[in-house]
Amino acid sequence: MELIKLTGVTKEYRKRTVLSDVDLSIEEGDILGVIGQSGSGKTTLLNLITGFISPSQGKTVYYTASNHEERDLNENLNRIKSQIGFTPQHNSFYPKLTVKENLWHFGQLYGLDKNMLKTNIRNLLNFTRLVDHQDKLAEELSGGMQKRLDISCSLVHKPKVLVLDEPTADLDPILQKEILQMLKEVNKQGVTIVIASHQLDCIENSCNKVVIVHNGRVKVFGSLEDVRRPYLRDHFTINVDPGEDKENLIKKLKAFPIKKIVDRGHTLTVYPEDVEKTMSKLLELIKEENLYLHDMHVKKPSLMEVFENVVLDNR
Amino acid sequence: MQSLWLLTIKNLKLLLRSRSSALIIIFAPLLIILLLGLSYNTSAQFGLKIGVYAADFNEDANSFIEILEEKEFTITKFNDLNTCTNDIKRSQIHTCIELPESLQVDDNQQKVVTFHIDPSRINLVWMIQETVKSKFNIKAQEISQELTGNILSILSETKGVLNSQQIDLSNIKQKTKDASTSASSVKNNLEGVSVGSDGTVIEGISDQLTEANDKISTAISEVNSAGITDDEKRDAIKDPLNEASRIIDDLQGNESISLNGVRDLLEQAAAAITSSTANLDLVTAALQEAATEIESVQSSLAAAQNSIESQKVTEADTITSPLITKIERISQENTYLSYLFPALLVLVVMFSSLLLGTTLVMIEKNSPAFLRNFFLPVRKITFITSIYVTNVILNLVEISVILGISLFFLKSSVAIIPTVALILFVTGSVFTFLGMAIGYIFSSEETGILASISLGSILLFTSGTILPLEGIAEALRKIVAYNPFVIGEKLVREVFIFNASLSMVGFELGILLAYAIVLFLVIWIIESIIHQQMTHKFMRHHHSSKRTRKP
Repeated sequence: MELIKLTGVTKEYRKRTVLSDVDLSIEEGDILGVIGQSGSGKTTLLNLITGFISPSQGKTVYYTASNHEERDLNENLNRIKSQIGFTPQHNSFYPKLTVKENLWHFGQLYGLDKNMLKTNIRNLLNFTRLVDHQDKLAEELSGGMQKRLDISCSLVHKPKVLVLDEPTADLDPILQKEILQMLKEVNKQGVTIVIASHQLDCIENSCNKVVIVHNGRVKVFGSLEDVRRPYLRDHFTINVDPGEDKENLIKKLKAFPIKKIVDRGHTLTVYPEDVEKTMSKLLELIKEENLYLHDMHVKKPSLMEVFENVVLDNR
Repeated sequence: MQSLWLLTIKNLKLLLRSRSSALIIIFAPLLIILLLGLSYNTSAQFGLKIGVYAADFNEDANSFIEILEEKEFTITKFNDLNTCTNDIKRSQIHTCIELPESLQVDDNQQKVVTFHIDPSRINLVWMIQETVKSKFNIKAQEISQELTGNILSILSETKGVLNSQQIDLSNIKQKTKDASTSASSVKNNLEGVSVGSDGTVIEGISDQLTEANDKISTAISEVNSAGITDDEKRDAIKDPLNEASRIIDDLQGNESISLNGVRDLLEQAAAAITSSTANLDLVTAALQEAATEIESVQSSLAAAQNSIESQKVTEADTITSPLITKIERISQENTYLSYLFPALLVLVVMFSSLLLGTTLVMIEKNSPAFLRNFFLPVRKITFITSIYVTNVILNLVEISVILGISLFFLKSSVAIIPTVALILFVTGSVFTFLGMAIGYIFSSEETGILASISLGSILLFTSGTILPLEGIAEALRKIVAYNPFVIGEKLVREVFIFNASLSMVGFELGILLAYAIVLFLVIWIIESIIHQQMTHKFMRHHHSSKRTRKP
C-alpha cells in the first residue's frame, strides 16, 4: 500500500534544476535506500519526502491512514508531520536535556496522550537499550547511544515513515551494524523507512528497495533484485596482482569483444559481449601465455557495482 | 615571519567572510560613535522647554518671555499653575516659571519668581536652574536699573527745586533784614518819646475834679438848706465837704501848669508815632512779601517731599535685587537613589530582556535540535511565543526581586508597585522582542550578544540618563523621544515619583505595546525568512553551482 508518492517532481534552486522529473512511490513496510553521489540530489529527495522543501513542479502526495485518500503533502504539512519521523545527518536533540527529557519533550510536542507517550518512551528506551541511561544528559552519551537517542526522538510519536539522512555516517563499523539492525527491528514493527547513505553496503544489507539518484535524476528505482537484474551475469571478476601479468591480461582482454573493464587494483571486472565465450577464450589464453592470476569468477553484482555502472553509464 | 603574516591574513579573511561577526565587531563601535557624534555635535543651547505661568500676561510678563525666547527656549504660556506643573511631571516641559502679578516693584517688597522644577531629573535640574536663571537675572537687572533711575531722577528734580528755592530764601533773608532795620528805626523813635503822664487822662481828671467840686458845693448847699439845726452836726457834715472842695481846688490849681507839659509831650509822642507808623508799614510790607515767598518755598519743598515720598522702594535690598527666585520642587524631597531608581529599573529590565531574548533565541537556533523543530507539528508562532514567555517568567522573577528590594528602602511606594510592575512588564516585552530579533538575525551567539549590548548602549546613551537629551541635535531629539528606554523610564518616573495613575500614562504605555506587537510581527517574518534561509543554506550546501547542471 502506497504511503507517499512523488509524481513528476522537479526542484529548482536559483534557476538551476537540482532534481528533475522524479517519479517515486514509497510503500508501506519498505526500507528504501537512497544512494547517489554528493550533490546528486538525494538529500533534496529526502527533504521533498518530508515536506521540508516543496517541489517547483510536480506533486508530492501522501495517503491517509484511515481511508487511503490522496492528499497533497505540502498543503497538509502539519497533518503529515505526525506521520513522519525525520533523523537528520547530525544529532538533533537537546544536549543539555536528559535522554528521557528529550523524548518527553518531542513526544509532547507531537501532542501525544501522556499515558501513550509514557508507554512509547518506555518501549523505546528498552528497544534502544537506553533505559539505563535515561537520566543522563544527552551530551554525556557515547556516539552510538546519541544516534540511538536521535532515532528514538524521531520514533517517539510512532510515525508511519521514518526518514534518515546518513544514519551511519561518523560511526564505527560495529555501531553502524548496530544501528542498521535497530532500523530493521523498527521496520518489523511496521515503520516504513527511507535511508539516504553513501555507505552502499549498509543500504544493500538493510534495504529492500533502492533509488539511485544521479545528476538530479532518478536513474534506478526498484527492489534490490530488480536493480541488480540488468547487471546480473553480464560480467566476471578476475583477482590478479598488479604488475606485468595484469597489464598483459588487460591488453589481451581488450582484443576480445568486451564492453568495458573496471580496474580496482587487485580486481578487474570485465563486461564482455558474451560472458561464457569470453571466459573460455580467456582461460585458453592464460594457459598459452602462462599468466598468473588468483582466481576468476562470475558473481551477483554488488550494489556498489550496480551504482558504479549507473554512474559510468551516465557519464 | 611569513607564517605570522599568513596566519594574520587568514584571520582577517575568516573574520570578514563571517559577515555578521565582522559587521558587529567592526562596525558596531563605529556606529555607536557615529550616532553619539551626530547626536551631541551641536553647540546650540539646550532645547529646554519652559512653561511660564502668569495670572495676566501683561507687558512685563511678555518682556520676560521675550528674553527667554532669545535663548532658543521653547516657551509655553499657562493660565493655570497646576497644568504647568503637571506638564513637568509628564516631561512636556522642563520647568515652570511662576511669575508674580506684576514685575513692577512699587514698594519695599521684592517680587518672587518661583521656579517649579522636577528634582528627579538630577542631571538636568541644576542646568535648567542655571540656564534659566541667567536670563532671569537680566530681567531683574533691568528692573533694578529702572528703580535706580527713578531714584536718581527724583534726586535730580529735588536738587533743581532746592537750587531755585535758594534764591527765594536769599530774597526772604534780605526782606527780613529790611524789616528788621525798619523795626529798629521804630524802636529808636519810640525810645525818644517821654510822656510824663497821659494829658488826656489829666484833662479828664481835671473835668472830673471840677465836677466833683461842683457836686461837693451842691452837697454843702444841700446841707445848708437841709435845716439842720444842730450846728455841731451840720458842721460835722460840712467840714469834710469843704475840706474835699479845698483839696480839689488845690489839685486843679497845680494841674493847669502840668497839663501843658503833658500836652507837649503827647504832641511829641504823636509825631513819633506818625513816623513809626510809616516805618511799620514798610515792615509789614516786607514781612508780607517774605511770607509769600516762604509759602512758595514751603510749597516747593512739599512738592519735593512728595516726589521723594513717591519713591516707595527705599530699601537697598529691594533696589539691588528687585526680583528674587524661589525654587519649588514638584515632588517630595528625596534621595538621589529614589530619583535614579526609575532609570535603574528600566536599565536592568532593558539589558536583561535584550540579553535574555538574544541568548534564548541563540540557544534554540544553535541547538542541534533546531532542525528537528521544523519537522514538528508546531506552528512558528508557538516557538516565538514560548521564547517570549520564558523571557517573561525570568523577567517577572527579576522585577519581583528588584521591586521587593526597593520596597524595603522605599516603603511608601507599595501602592504604585502594581502599576510600575505593569510598565516594566510591557517595557521588558519590547526589549525582549528586540533581543529576540537580534538573536534571529545574527548567526553566532557572540555576535548576537555583542549586538544586543551595542543596541542597549545606544538606547542608553540616547535616553537622557547619562547625558541630557536636551543637549542633542533637534532632529535626533525628536527621534530618540520614541526610544523605548526613554518612554519606559518616563512612565516609571511619573508613577514612581509623581504617583501618576495608569490612565495618565496610558498613551505612552500604548506606544510601548504597539512596539511590542510590531516587533512580534517582525520576528514572525524573520522566523519565516530563517526557514527559507535554512532551505537555501541546505540547497546551497548540497548543490553548489559546480555540481548542478541542467538535465
